[in-house]
Amino acid sequence: PAGPGGVAVPRAGLKKLVLPPDYSGITFPEKPKLKFMEKVPAVPKVRREPRRLRDIRGPSREATDFVQGQYGILALGGGYLHWGHFEMIRLTIGRHMDPKSMFAVWRVPAPSKPVTRKSLGHRMGGGKGPIDHYVTAVRSGRLVVEVGGRCHFGQVRPFLAQVAQKLPFPAVPVSRESLQEMRREEEEKRRNNQNPWTFERIVTSNMLGMRKYLSPYDLQLQGRYWGKFFLKHRV
Amino acid sequence: PAPPGWLPALQLLRRGSKAVTRHWKAMHFQRQKLLAVTEYVPPRPAVPPRCLPAPRDHPQEEDGYARLLRRQVEQVFRSSRMVAVCQYNSMPDEDMVTMRHYLRKHNIEVKFVLNEIVRPVLAQSKYRNLLPLFVCRNILLVSPETRAREMLRVLKGIPQVNLLGACIDDTILSRQGVENFARLPSLEASQGQTVGALALLPSQTSSLLQRGPSHLTALLDEHIRRLRDTGAPGEPPPEQGKGNH
Repeated sequence: PAGPGGVAVPRAGLKKLVLPPDYSGITFPEKPKLKFMEKVPAVPKVRREPRRLRDIRGPSREATDFVQGQYGILALGGGYLHWGHFEMIRLTIGRHMDPKSMFAVWRVPAPSKPVTRKSLGHRMGGGKGPIDHYVTAVRSGRLVVEVGGRCHFGQVRPFLAQVAQKLPFPAVPVSRESLQEMRREEEEKRRNNQNPWTFERIVTSNMLGMRKYLSPYDLQLQGRYWGKFFLKHRV
Repeated sequence: PAPPGWLPALQLLRRGSKAVTRHWKAMHFQRQKLLAVTEYVPPRPAVPPRCLPAPRDHPQEEDGYARLLRRQVEQVFRSSRMVAVCQYNSMPDEDMVTMRHYLRKHNIEVKFVLNEIVRPVLAQSKYRNLLPLFVCRNILLVSPETRAREMLRVLKGIPQVNLLGACIDDTILSRQGVENFARLPSLEASQGQTVGALALLPSQTSSLLQRGPSHLTALLDEHIRRLRDTGAPGEPPPEQGKGNH
């Protein structure tokens, strides 16, 4: 409010008392900190597996919604997480969170897919290399970790963003409300798109013989995924 | 739409790297064109939102505390006969406590009110004309009885509190009005005066009615006295008693 001479005159009004947030329906698991993930599964695999990269492609079917916590890290692309990533996540979150009032829960299994590596400096040939390490596959739209407890999003977001930056795929910290908001916005974009030509329409009816240049998987992926990447700006 | 499981006769997907790569795989030009054609086009309203008036933020939901204070103010206005509005400048705490003590002795309460709460309350009630008084920092002196003289006496000794106006018995008075009101005699005295003035004439009624007969009685007494004085042996005429009227 401007006073005489245009100088702002501070004015005190009634204080708006805000009720403290209600953390009533939250159940803490027995161990609030993240479990230690083994580098190698209990029964190490003997048979070397082919490099099935299709477990990275497309949207995720499991672990897309919140189960226990209120905040988490959402993967926006596909990738593999190995033991180094797991340790980084476990230690960073363990360092920043308060075990008395917050808890964290894994939403990805321990590494179980074997990855082979040939020794350095050899020519091609000579068979498949031995198993080097184990990884877990993560598709886009999957939650990696969940954090919950008596805390608000602003408290948790900084270190979740720190962790999300270090992951091999693009990731963002989300809360229940922000995930709902994201999904709602996506739905709204799909509904009020003014473009009469949609990828879905062209592919399902094979207009202009487009399916010659597209994969049969594009019928499900609908142009939003390309390889392991998730194209957020599409439709 | 094509039946499920149908594949085109030719597919250009057997060159270069596999489907899923660690790097960003280069897209076929036709696919790039398809993606460019099927991009998202946001809706364009007929009137751009820049030209429309800015959307007002919905008023935040009412504070329970504000509601409580408003209820208290309404209750104060309803229960008290005298409400005086004074301007309040900051004064030392002990002086404040002393002033409160003196006013409490005369059964006057001091209430601090916030303008942003009182203004809506007054605007809706019948005290609309008190609105211009609630501008700066102010206090309300409320009392169920109207003792303006003592209040003025107390406030005269405090330079930091200035009387702006009062509403006594649903009558709005200015500062001058309050001073005049204080100079009036108290209600009981004025009631007694009025009753006395009204009862003056009826009290004279009995004497008025008795004037004729009492005049006659006085005349007869005078006559008897004169007769007694002039003729002692003369028999005084029989006295007319006073009972025949």
